[in-house]
Amino acid sequence: MRYKKAIIPTILAIAILATGVWGYNQYRMRNYYEDQLINQYQRIFYDMKDNVETVQTSLSKSLVSASEESDILLLSQIYQQAYFAHDKLSQLPIGHENLAKTEKFLNQVADYSYSLIGRYIKGDKLDDKERQTLFRLQDYTEQLTAELQEAHDEILTGDLTMFKIREGEKDKIGEANEDILDAQMQKYEEEQMTEYPELIYDGPFSDQVLNVEPKGLGEDTVNEKEARKIALDFLGIKNPKDVNMFNKGESTGSSNIDAYTFSITPDNEGESIIIGVSIQGGKVVWMENSKEVEDKNISEKEALKIAKEFLDENGYTSMQANYSTKYDNSILFNFVYEQDGIPMYTDLIKVKVSLDDGEIIGIDAANFLKSNHERDLPKPKITEEEARDNVRIGFDIENVRLAVIPDRGNNDLLCYEFSGTYKGSDFIVYINALDGRQEDILQIIQDENGTLMM
Amino acid sequence: MRKFTIIISILLILLISISIFSGRSNNLNEATSSGYSKISARAPRVIYWGSSGDTVREAQRRLKDWGYYEGSVDGIYGPQMYRATRQFQRKHGLTVDGIIGPATANSLGISLGVSQAQTTGVTRDDNVYLLARAVHGEARGEPYVGKVAIAAVVLNRVENPSFPNSIAGVIYQPLAFTAVADGQMNLSPDNESLRAARDALNGWDPTYGCLYYWNPATATSKWIWSREKVIEIGKHWFGN
Repeated sequence: MRYKKAIIPTILAIAILATGVWGYNQYRMRNYYEDQLINQYQRIFYDMKDNVETVQTSLSKSLVSASEESDILLLSQIYQQAYFAHDKLSQLPIGHENLAKTEKFLNQVADYSYSLIGRYIKGDKLDDKERQTLFRLQDYTEQLTAELQEAHDEILTGDLTMFKIREGEKDKIGEANEDILDAQMQKYEEEQMTEYPELIYDGPFSDQVLNVEPKGLGEDTVNEKEARKIALDFLGIKNPKDVNMFNKGESTGSSNIDAYTFSITPDNEGESIIIGVSIQGGKVVWMENSKEVEDKNISEKEALKIAKEFLDENGYTSMQANYSTKYDNSILFNFVYEQDGIPMYTDLIKVKVSLDDGEIIGIDAANFLKSNHERDLPKPKITEEEARDNVRIGFDIENVRLAVIPDRGNNDLLCYEFSGTYKGSDFIVYINALDGRQEDILQIIQDENGTLMM
Repeated sequence: MRKFTIIISILLILLISISIFSGRSNNLNEATSSGYSKISARAPRVIYWGSSGDTVREAQRRLKDWGYYEGSVDGIYGPQMYRATRQFQRKHGLTVDGIIGPATANSLGISLGVSQAQTTGVTRDDNVYLLARAVHGEARGEPYVGKVAIAAVVLNRVENPSFPNSIAGVIYQPLAFTAVADGQMNLSPDNESLRAARDALNGWDPTYGCLYYWNPATATSKWIWSREKVIEIGKHWFGN
């Protein structure tokens, strides 16, 4: 009887003890993981601080330097270290709103240095404006270094956790002490970066590339009703079952292309089709039919014919297919705009055809609308033979033609396009048709789904 | 009574030591067994809907030999193979997800590693898979176009200087995506997410270049509400 009385309390006691031990272990492991994470963050922080400091000193030196060779070396150091700093900064747990401008700044410093290196190598000299820009960048970097130093000092003087690891840990470390880096970055961005000017140069992260105005839209604007009609005409649908417009924001120009977007249900069966029509110019920006294609009944050749005819019908008559890729039982064709038989590689329209019934299930003309315009093409200053001399010996040329490709700043470059093979691999080499410089090399990576058609 | 105390103490000591050991090993495994069926992060090590190549062909051959698969041995993972794979997995007590990972490959008697070594290296397949996982985690239950839109936002960020310069960098940026932070993105992506990722990588962008999206029903950050809305798709607002 006495034993029986003791059984339940004993079991309970064991259970509590076991839970306690288990809980303690959990607690220990949690701390262990947290320490590892913080160590990792600490390391990234110190590395980043070093990177930024190197950027700053190199920028200062480049201002003093009068030698081209050391300029190039300094710029390549800035390029590398600024990218490192950006990469590390983006790995730290700091809110994006306190980080966006600094990330952009570091990226642009790197990108700008790279474009300057390119200019040096081409034999150009830096002008006063570029020196000025370097001077300003140096100024901002100095401020950033100071801010990071301050954060570092605060971290050192207190027994503080550097980062908020997760939401809801506020009680653990006093509110005043938390998120030092978050706060410091916020302060830096609010006080220093608001005045940060736009940076104009030839590179993918420069402000004129980011804020480019679409060139191919036309003048007139359309209203919602007209856009709806354009969409239905484009799809060849007379009596749709349902047309809905997606709510859009006030048009303020923060999107690439301001557009009305509709969801159109053609009939009782089948998926709805989504289509976007630009407000300016009333052009179809993109279209997508989300139906799942389950079968393959038609050949790629037939699909290409369907795609080409579709573009012709809709007024895109100077388009040539130059690449196709198969996926999800459909085939995607890249069409390039040709002016006087010369392909403009920036003006791309993509057409996706389902391989079961040959329906057009996707159009993407955003790039085309952004860049297409009637170009005043320069006459080549060198002949094909002269350009050929600038191609590597041993490169087996199969085809040559003129083509327009974009440079790093999205400007047009008229080039001779040499496609061929070198040591068994396929390449395309672009030689500038005005000065004979080699502008770009593409390596063609073959896989069983992609086909180059040129 | 004495005897009883001794037995209890021995039992207790035993239990404690067991719980310490098991507790520790459990904890060390925590990162890999938190309830989701984790998948390998590198895409070529798994075969899924839309995969193609020699390994797929080999898997098809085996599935056909054993009567699971009736389609053609064409090296492309399509719907028929999906059904066959699931049926095979069900029969063999594997996780029924239609994805041929190491375990399923083992049961099939094929190797996922060998034929990988033969490919030449440069591929966007890894990115498709990574992007699809992020889409699946962030936009489950959204319409298809909403999924393409999420993938497009990730790619727009890669192109923008205010964000990391790679797909992995953008997806794994701390505090950027909730589905990454809470591990939901480690679920296997479904076919729709894979399609959406491929469409976005091929250029489709329903957001017209947006960098942000938020769910107006749940977004708490004051900052995100200061963004300019461009378009509403499904539950999400997209803006800059």
